[in-house]
Amino acid sequence: MTRLRRAGLAPEPGPHAVAAAGSGGLRLVALNGEARALGLRPGELLGRVRARVGVPLRIHPNDPEADGAALLRLCRWASRYTPAVAPFGPAEGRHGLYLDIQGAAHLLGGEAALIADLAERLDRADIPARIALADTPGAAFAVAGFGNTVSPQMLTKHGRPFSGAPQAKPESRTASGVPLGTVGVSGSPAPPHDPGMTGREPIPPLLILPGEAAARLAPLPVEALRLDPGIAAGLRRLGLKRIGDVEALPRSGLARRFGLPLLLRLDQAHGRRPEPLAPLAEADSFSAARGFLDPIGRQSDVVAAARELMGEIAPRLERAGFGATALRLTLHRVDGAVRSLEIGLSRPDRCPTRIASLVALRLERLGAALEAGFGFETVALAVTGAEIMPATQTELAGSGQGERIATLADILAQRIGRKLVRLAPQESHQPERAEGAVPWTVPALPYPDHLPVRPLVLFARAEPAADVFALAPDGPPHRFRWRRQEHRVARAEGPERIASEWWHRQGEPRDYYRIECEAGRRLWLYRDGPYRADRPAAWFVHGIFP
Amino acid sequence: MQEPPEGTVQERRGRVPGVPVSESVPGPGPGTLSRAGPPPGPERTALAQLRILLAPGEAQHRAGMPLGLPALEAHLPGGGLALGPPHEIAPAEPGDAAAALAFALALSAIRLAGVKGEALIAAGPDQPLPYGHGLASLGLDPGRVLLMEAGGDGEVYRALEAALHARCLAVLVGLVGGGLPLKAGRRLQLAAEGGEPPLVLILRPPGPGTPNGAATRWSIASAPGGLDRFGLLATPRWGARLDRCRNGRGGAWLLEWDSAAHRLRLPERLARDAAAAGGARP
Repeated sequence: MTRLRRAGLAPEPGPHAVAAAGSGGLRLVALNGEARALGLRPGELLGRVRARVGVPLRIHPNDPEADGAALLRLCRWASRYTPAVAPFGPAEGRHGLYLDIQGAAHLLGGEAALIADLAERLDRADIPARIALADTPGAAFAVAGFGNTVSPQMLTKHGRPFSGAPQAKPESRTASGVPLGTVGVSGSPAPPHDPGMTGREPIPPLLILPGEAAARLAPLPVEALRLDPGIAAGLRRLGLKRIGDVEALPRSGLARRFGLPLLLRLDQAHGRRPEPLAPLAEADSFSAARGFLDPIGRQSDVVAAARELMGEIAPRLERAGFGATALRLTLHRVDGAVRSLEIGLSRPDRCPTRIASLVALRLERLGAALEAGFGFETVALAVTGAEIMPATQTELAGSGQGERIATLADILAQRIGRKLVRLAPQESHQPERAEGAVPWTVPALPYPDHLPVRPLVLFARAEPAADVFALAPDGPPHRFRWRRQEHRVARAEGPERIASEWWHRQGEPRDYYRIECEAGRRLWLYRDGPYRADRPAAWFVHGIFP
Repeated sequence: MQEPPEGTVQERRGRVPGVPVSESVPGPGPGTLSRAGPPPGPERTALAQLRILLAPGEAQHRAGMPLGLPALEAHLPGGGLALGPPHEIAPAEPGDAAAALAFALALSAIRLAGVKGEALIAAGPDQPLPYGHGLASLGLDPGRVLLMEAGGDGEVYRALEAALHARCLAVLVGLVGGGLPLKAGRRLQLAAEGGEPPLVLILRPPGPGTPNGAATRWSIASAPGGLDRFGLLATPRWGARLDRCRNGRGGAWLLEWDSAAHRLRLPERLARDAAAAGGARP
């Protein structure tokens, strides 16, 4: 639901719900606050809900993949607090994440400050969440999802958190004898105790001090232990509704009756057994840097460093299936000045030699403007743009034509700073608008072949022809003056009337004549607008024929 | 306008098979210069063999791009325009710039009709750029033309050099604001050595050229176009003068461009006479 809201898919106020196919038909999976206020709860049959609720209910299809992706994005964001971030797995319902803040809390001024910061940022991002900090992930999950502010009745009524970000962080408190001091933070998008989402006040984070966990866990329902629904139902049938009830029983009996998973979860929640988190793999960063004991100042050294750095990055790019399209070479001078060079490529590439040659060309163009001074002590190369680059078989006869043109285009771009372009026809009758320049990588478009002969050189601005003398008032000129030269027309063909498109509404239709001077030059002249007796005709030279 | 002599046919006496005609002294005048007679047979053969010994590469690579016009090819070494070294093309008068550009593009079209690949036009500032629809009218596929607008002549030459090294294009055309300098010409020539070089054309404004390494120097003037049988302008014509040609002879021709067949030809006498007569005036 939070994902939908943030994506702008559920903008209107009113009850919204997400439904997915379940046993017996479509069942509600997630609700927003207003739907909750109607007394709906996840798990109900959609048909029954529709019959019961008179208000129109907006139903969205369930999209677990998008939910997963949204959670992953949240995890990536949360890695600002700690590198060890793990999204909830299937046992936790995939609606939250763990943060292992062990050793990271002091960076933000302690656990409480970190949690407060997290809560505030989540709130600002409009992500409803319940946060709990505990010694173990299990305890953190239990407290966050089934926190002590909620009575068991409310829990059964509102069920599990349906989306959002419960978070748990184990943190070691080395002073204590307990191996793991954990702080569990769990959040749910629509907190169970806050049915109206409109009045979202930040839910106070729950901090559990070391040693306090058992006492805090005892009143929580057994579902908080992340058990199979079957085991939880069995416990409830026996009247064991709280974790405290289960904890009080002899372990051997429990193991016989419900198997080891129950004991495992119980022990994990109480910190008697370790529970390693599976933190999200860090995204591959396609950058590398190298420091030099002796500063380097020569161009060839910088190029060699760039080649080595690219050699480091290239295997990473290759594993990810990417090729670089833009690179940034950062040079840190001894005196602290930083120089950045941007290098663009016309097609994805990861060959260190080619990249190095482009760096060399770029440096060559800069020349003394690079100002090496006393030399550079650090050289860093980062891929700032990447594209999917499928592995291709290299041709035996060397690289293909297009690839070599790409290399040339890169060389021209780096060395001269000019781009290769290609001419492309455009949909227009106006000659000056009928063509444009596009990047050379764009495939060539066919030119229309129904047009009459067009000049080889077309002036961007038509040049006025002066002293035009025509034999017939609406005929082609007989002689005229253009570029300070008298031209006598030996031959004229036309007119070809070209009008601008009606939506442009500027200028009159032009009558184009193809004329040949006595000197043999062929020009494209036009009269602006049809002949009218009340004003002199305006003539322009627009192009030259071969 | 001076009537250019039509297709001076070169006599081929005493020519060694397989050896390029290498009579020296490219005549500045179009075929009108009377030259001193060539040395007698045996000496000539020895001279030709010596030339091969001294410049074997040059002799082998001289198979130029045929133009499909025997009258013109007879003046060029190797029977065509040499690939690799630059050819300099200049308009005869300032108003003939479009004609010179058209002639260069016509040569490009001949080259592109024979091989795969694309043409690069590197233009300096204020140089007339071709219009795509006009290229199509000329018979050159605009899709096979790449353009680069440079900030100066130096950038044009550097771009051409880089393109020569890259060996990925069939034709290179440089539009520059001054004559080809000796140094740039030499650099282009070095870059073109080896492999299969492209056709390199340098278009410069009118005026006396500077000494450079150009293989040929042309000056192009506009000429009244050819008419079809309805009396309409059909084919462009240019007065082409080969001012200088290394290992060849100069000459002047009236050339007609057939945009459909991608070939230059000499206009038929009748058509030219009709054009010269002035034609119908409106």
